[in-house]
Amino acid sequence: MPLPSGHLIIQAYDRIVLVQVTKDRLLEMPVITAIGAELIDLLERHAKPSIILDLSQVAYLSSAMVGKLIALYKGVVGAKGRLAVAGVRADLMPLFKITQIDKLIRFYPDAQQVILEYKRKPL
Amino acid sequence: MTTRRQVQTTTRRRKLQASQELSISAGEPPTGRFRLMMRHGDWQPIGEVVLRHRCPSRLDVKQQAMDLFADACVERGWVRDEDRSWLVLCLDEAITNAMLHGNEGDPRLDVEIALAADAKRWQIAISDQGQGFTMASVPDPDNPDSLLLEHGRGIRLMRAWLGSLTYWRRGATVVLSRRIAAPS
Repeated sequence: MPLPSGHLIIQAYDRIVLVQVTKDRLLEMPVITAIGAELIDLLERHAKPSIILDLSQVAYLSSAMVGKLIALYKGVVGAKGRLAVAGVRADLMPLFKITQIDKLIRFYPDAQQVILEYKRKPL
Repeated sequence: MTTRRQVQTTTRRRKLQASQELSISAGEPPTGRFRLMMRHGDWQPIGEVVLRHRCPSRLDVKQQAMDLFADACVERGWVRDEDRSWLVLCLDEAITNAMLHGNEGDPRLDVEIALAADAKRWQIAISDQGQGFTMASVPDPDNPDSLLLEHGRGIRLMRAWLGSLTYWRRGATVVLSRRIAAPS
């Protein structure tokens, strides 16, 4: 189990796992590596997880972090879970469209909306 | 009258020119005017070099370099303040590539960054001490099979905002360029 990166707040309710990213700049490689490892570790600790990644506090994000999101997505699919990203700032959204992540992962305006949807439609 | 020899020379010259301007199959960029090229030789600045910075290939000094060049462009009005995050993103991608791929993370090797401009465009050249690369090693971001790759999206990100992205010295220097922002 990796050491906590200190940049994530993780709360789990049943199989719903809310992950809030508290760092605003996801550019430095050690930060990205630590967050990536912590996200993948979620798959070890939660069976068929319904993960919500709350990026509302993120202002900058590099392609390396996008790669970690892809790795998480692949892990979630392998674990027969689901993944949603919530709260992305309007000026960051083009980044997800350019990298075509929006074709893989569903985006929501806020985490609460995803929690309600996950509760309505449990896996 | 054009001789057979002249035709052959022209054909050779055109083929050479084409090989110097290798465009990756990247679809139509958002601006419709984006160019990505691999050129031979050394980069020549388009105008006066207004800022130069050299740093070791250490990620802990990357932020300082990024802020230095982002501030220089925004303060001169070459990049709008609201576009600063795009510039930071492009600098991050290019400097990280130079440090980790070009110089293979060796802190004894330096990355040199220079900012130049003419009346219409600014350029930021980022040079490493590595051997460069070939375009064939860059994943085609428009290939559907690339969608699940965990790397290779940096160029796609940069091209979304830049006017051109040109590689010199077999890829060991990358030049980011864009039109100077119109006064708001």
